[in-house]
Amino acid sequence: MIERRKLAKWLVVLVALHGLIACAGFFAPYDPVEQDRQLPYARPMKLHLIDTQGRVHMRPFFYPLRMREGSFDQYDEDIARAMSLKLFAEGPRYRLLGLLPCRLHLFGAAGARICLLGTDGYGRDQLSRILYGGQVSLLAGLLGAGITLSLGLGIGAAAGYFGGWRDEVLMRLTEPFLALPWLYMLLGLRAFLPLAVSPLEAFFLIVMVIGAVGWARPARLVRGVVLSAKERDFVRAARGFGAPHRYLLWRHVLPETSSVLLTQAAILIPQYVLAEMTLSFLGLGVPEPLASWGNLLANLQQYSVLTSYWWMYLPALAIVPFFLGYLGLASALQEWADPFKVGRGT
Amino acid sequence: MRFLSRRLIHAVLVLFGVSILTFLFTSLAPGDYFDEMRLNPQIAPETVVALRAQYQLDRPLPVRYARWLNSVVHGDLGYSFSYNSPVGPLLWVRARNTLFLTVTATLLSWGLALPLGVWSAERLGGLPDSLISWMMAGLMAVPDLALALGLLLFAARSGWFPTGGLASLGFESLSPINELRDLTLHMFLPVAVLVLTALPLLVRHVRAAMAGVLHAPFLRAAQGHGIPRRRLLYRYALPAAANPLISLFGFSIGALLSGSLLVEVVMSWPGIGPLLVEAILSRDLYVVVGGVLLSTLFLVVGNFVADVFLYWADPRIRAGPVAK
Amino acid sequence: MQPLIQVEYLVKRYSSRGVLGSGEVVSALNEVSFSVAPGKTLALVGASGSGKSTLALCLACLERSTSGRIWFEGRDIAALDEKQLRAVRPQIQLVFQDPASSLNPRFTALEIVTEPLLVQRKWGTREMHERALALLERIGLSRGMASRRTGEFSGGQRQRLAIARALSLAPKLLILDEALSSLDCSVQAQIANLLLELQSSFVLTYLFITHDLAMAAHLGDEIAVMNRGRIVEQGVPEKVLGAPSHEATRGLVAATPGSIVTPRMPGGL
Repeated sequence: MIERRKLAKWLVVLVALHGLIACAGFFAPYDPVEQDRQLPYARPMKLHLIDTQGRVHMRPFFYPLRMREGSFDQYDEDIARAMSLKLFAEGPRYRLLGLLPCRLHLFGAAGARICLLGTDGYGRDQLSRILYGGQVSLLAGLLGAGITLSLGLGIGAAAGYFGGWRDEVLMRLTEPFLALPWLYMLLGLRAFLPLAVSPLEAFFLIVMVIGAVGWARPARLVRGVVLSAKERDFVRAARGFGAPHRYLLWRHVLPETSSVLLTQAAILIPQYVLAEMTLSFLGLGVPEPLASWGNLLANLQQYSVLTSYWWMYLPALAIVPFFLGYLGLASALQEWADPFKVGRGT
Repeated sequence: MRFLSRRLIHAVLVLFGVSILTFLFTSLAPGDYFDEMRLNPQIAPETVVALRAQYQLDRPLPVRYARWLNSVVHGDLGYSFSYNSPVGPLLWVRARNTLFLTVTATLLSWGLALPLGVWSAERLGGLPDSLISWMMAGLMAVPDLALALGLLLFAARSGWFPTGGLASLGFESLSPINELRDLTLHMFLPVAVLVLTALPLLVRHVRAAMAGVLHAPFLRAAQGHGIPRRRLLYRYALPAAANPLISLFGFSIGALLSGSLLVEVVMSWPGIGPLLVEAILSRDLYVVVGGVLLSTLFLVVGNFVADVFLYWADPRIRAGPVAK
Repeated sequence: MQPLIQVEYLVKRYSSRGVLGSGEVVSALNEVSFSVAPGKTLALVGASGSGKSTLALCLACLERSTSGRIWFEGRDIAALDEKQLRAVRPQIQLVFQDPASSLNPRFTALEIVTEPLLVQRKWGTREMHERALALLERIGLSRGMASRRTGEFSGGQRQRLAIARALSLAPKLLILDEALSSLDCSVQAQIANLLLELQSSFVLTYLFITHDLAMAAHLGDEIAVMNRGRIVEQGVPEKVLGAPSHEATRGLVAATPGSIVTPRMPGGL
């Protein structure tokens, strides 16, 4: 039962992380595309409890930033105007989970913008962009993994169950896909799809590209499971009552592949989130003004941004807890599916 | 030798498969390099048609493929529209730099993974083992993109390392020792990213393979004969655990190549990576095909090297085909 | 009396396909002929690898025979296609050696027994459940156990479950392929008795495949000995085991300690 508890622990962690991103509208104080030309490349604002006179405040407050005379990215704290941070503040409209119209935000401030993680070159709030960008990146990963697993399941099951020449052809087809380094394959496939498209089209385009690239490994794994499952006596017995192929596949063979598919999902999703990030970082993925973890990082390719505005690097760290969560989930799933094998040797 | 020649034929077939696959994608591509020209009012439509005919883009796919194969035989690998030169020479220079990076990273990461994994397996469950396990788990959670940008940020702020390129300006005028120093400094960050991202997986597999072997009766017997510990670990246990690790070697090359592409772009290393991205953005078709194919070639060669190792390390394979 | 099943010159060859399609051919069954009268038991014995299990699979139409005929109630079922077989399959059921692998571990006892009914789609849900529950009680599992998964049962209970499943479609011929071999001695005796009981109450015909000569003598009206894909000897247990004429039979008898032949008690117990 240790395996089960471990699995539950990682699932809770992942649900919490995904919930944070799914409810980005609530946790983000601003709209991700809302610009503030007065605040380009503002550094992360500090929250204070003690003001310049040495008085202690019960509520955290901040000093709004004011651009220094004659500069374009240097700011001073405007210590004359202490603004308190409001929890559960009213703010810009958004739709919670894409459905419920809502104005409530976790925090906000009246009268000045509070940008805890700084702003980008258009004065857009970095925290809000990271949270909303996560929606794009995670959704790309989840959908891409869904496509890959459906392809892998369909092709692997067909090859394993029907065997013969179908098996031969399909398994030969996996070889070039397994042979290519995945990033080269991703780029090779992306190369032949249109570049100048709307953000939404681009999103679905790269989801399909990412999803199409990785089908070979799950297909092979599924085939292996199906191959052994169809020779089990309970499948023979069901054939003996005259069960048709569709029934055998659906009721007896495919359920056997579930643990392989789950483990593959836990491995593929973070990889595919990273794939989206990489493509968008290279300028081949989701374009502006839509935010994604990848295109938020694209700015760093300019040397001046890299040297002067370190907070532009923060989106790269956003994926780390997700990676950790999925890694934990994958190993917990492996132990759960096969408690003896992992428990001993390693 | 039959094993190796079979693997070689297999490798060639895979290369063919990949080339056909990439060519098939080209036929699915909406638009080509000359599409943008068509929009340019200063270029007559007839010129574009003529250009397309000159580069044979108006011919059916099998014809284009056959012509391209022909040019591969001549070492040209097709023609780059934006560089206005054959793709082959363009790629070779870049390939050299990519190889330089990946080979160094491969050697270094295996050079680190083997002792770390063996050490870890020897003290299974002990302090060094759990320390290494935690470090590797931490490293695994940091994707290569985040690591590369992070190190670059560190280099830019500390000023300890150059933040890009292969060599400093005026490299030619340096003395040999300084040349080496300059090159090492430039290589340090890209290689570090590649090694650090490859390491966790390698260490984990070395550890698992060794842990499986360390309890084998033949090792207990050897221990009983009074063979020194180090010799026991590296001369007796490691070769016995080598089989899965050699297969992993081929796989690790693929991962390092993919990682290298990204690292090259981030750290402006003049390898295939930046060239490929540039070619995709300008729809320079044959450069893309060439780049993808070259990466496959590296991988296939890497896997072949792994097969040679396997052949050399495993007496069962040398003995001939084994009935299943 | 008209036999229920009559097998004539049944041949099954497997070809192990080589790289160029030229593989060697293995004959698993070599012109096997026998017949079983309704309500009787033919015990089929032989060493492992003698072709017993292949014969079971061919008779249950789970493997296609290479040539020969299988007459079942006047039809040659070896010549039927998959669609025509659908109507015949319920009549011939197979019980496998290892219930752990012949019962899907994801299923409950009730699902196991209703599965054949569900597949054949001749009954409503209520009727199906009633039939299944009655059958579970008949083979000695209580109604309360119906919702347990197969992994929660003992080996003997699982084999009872497998037998219940085989009986759910009211078959005429039951092929028991080493059905007792994976069980403990005392459990074997219980299941053997259950089989005898069921045979008399449902008028079942058994093909009882085993390598256990004592059990074959106990259950079989006749014994057939298989060796290398052929039936080399056939007759009543006393004759076959008491005065074996073929070398293979003598080998089997010599390998079994103690006296084998115990006359089958009338009435089943």
